Amino acid sequence: MSDQWTDRLSEYLDGELPPEDRAALETHLRHCTACGAVLADLKRIVTRAHGLEDRLPERDLWPGIAARIGLDTGERPVVDLDAVRVRRQVSFSLPQLIAAGIGLVALSGGTAWLLHPSAQPAVAVHEAPAVPAVTVANRSSVAGQRYAAAVADLERVLDQGRGRLDTTTVRVIERNLATIDSAIAQAQRAVAADSANVYLNSHLAETRQRKLELLRQAAALVSSVS
Amino acid sequence: MLVTLASGALTALALLQQIDTTVAAQPGQRLVVDSYGGEIDVKTWGRNAVRVEADPPSRTSVEISSSGGVVSVRSEGRRGPPATVDYTITVPAWMGLDLSGVYTDVKVAGVRAPITVETVQGEVDVAGGEGTVSLRSVQGSVKLSNAKGRIDVHSVNEEVRVSNASGEITAETVNGDVVLEQVDATSLDAATVNGDMGYDGPIRNGGRYTLSTHNGDITLAATEKTSATVMVSTFSGDFESDFPVPLRETRKGRRFSFTLGGGSAQVSLESFQGTIRLVRPGHGNQERDQNDHKDHDRDDD
Repeated sequence: MSDQWTDRLSEYLDGELPPEDRAALETHLRHCTACGAVLADLKRIVTRAHGLEDRLPERDLWPGIAARIGLDTGERPVVDLDAVRVRRQVSFSLPQLIAAGIGLVALSGGTAWLLHPSAQPAVAVHEAPAVPAVTVANRSSVAGQRYAAAVADLERVLDQGRGRLDTTTVRVIERNLATIDSAIAQAQRAVAADSANVYLNSHLAETRQRKLELLRQAAALVSSVS
Repeated sequence: MLVTLASGALTALALLQQIDTTVAAQPGQRLVVDSYGGEIDVKTWGRNAVRVEADPPSRTSVEISSSGGVVSVRSEGRRGPPATVDYTITVPAWMGLDLSGVYTDVKVAGVRAPITVETVQGEVDVAGGEGTVSLRSVQGSVKLSNAKGRIDVHSVNEEVRVSNASGEITAETVNGDVVLEQVDATSLDAATVNGDMGYDGPIRNGGRYTLSTHNGDITLAATEKTSATVMVSTFSGDFESDFPVPLRETRKGRRFSFTLGGGSAQVSLESFQGTIRLVRPGHGNQERDQNDHKDHDRDDD
């Protein structure tokens, strides 16, 4: 499944390969369907990642992070994140691909808060120094928690607003959510049996994403009739 | 009883207003229609003008205005939400449309401009559209034909069907089929959770085509001469082909790829538990229809 080029596809996608390596990889891609397929997967993830909205944290996260990693929080100047923010660059190595697929779902779930009445834009955060990289397993776990939180938020919006929607519409939304939930449950069981299967992980992530999208659509309907 | 019904009907008729208004349309203007319920039927003519015909009940007013880049038509309830209003609107073919409603069916024919439609409980049937064409319904089916450009068709609970169209296409639903026939997509992203899916049209060199369903079959029209790298993924489904395919690689799970012709286009076919079929062009819909009949027979049993 992998060869000498597989782990360099992410660099290729980011335009970070030297010209000679780039040319050699492009020649390789013309014959290697496996690398072509992995590259297509990576492109899909990067495309979706670029479509996500950057969302500022609702509160200053740095003191908590600093405390957990044993650094002195001290007095640090507060900076405007917009001034230091750079375009999100997505670079995955192959082993991260599976986790990234699921993580993206939760990341994009962040937009759920935009629909939530209590959403408040943050005005500034501390400029944080580099922190140790999280492991893939941790990232997946965090992503899973964020996904669950986003779903719970949207379900609450829908629940609170269901009285404002036509009963037939509510029934249709609930039926379709049940359809998606059933698909998610089947995909989860399949992933549990074959956790390294890229397709199953990607399918699970996309089906979860579909649930978020439907919930967002339902929340938007509630908000449009408020 | 009959007398009572008859007099009630006469009263209702008397309360209807007849609206037939024509306003000038300046090149570049868009038509924006906001209707709570009823039907929006848009046709085209050769005049640079917008004609609005409707017969709203008296408790609902229809406001028609033209300012800046927009000709606007909207229904307003005098007390509470507006009643159902059926509109017939005639526009120049160059006029972009932005049509929305809640309990609203939308029908458009002949427009050669961007079109946006959003409804909750209603069918969408559009023939035409150029540039960005975005059609959405929650509970109704969405049909689009004779369109070109960046196409986004979306339903939740019904079928999505695109025919005789070209460009970058996104077609999604949750509980319904996705049918793409005589479509020339430069890129395609088609997805459903509980439904079948079919694409019958050319596969372009360098194009990217992704068809994905959880619980349904996928039918893709192709030949040995198609230039595509095809990745097939399934969990418990099957794969069938009208012609032999040169299998290049099998991955763990039921995932494999093969190359047709020069392998230029990237095609991804994913069905969690359905059958993925490669058929020769023109056979996709027959195959689907036969399966539909089988399904109906099963239902009848």
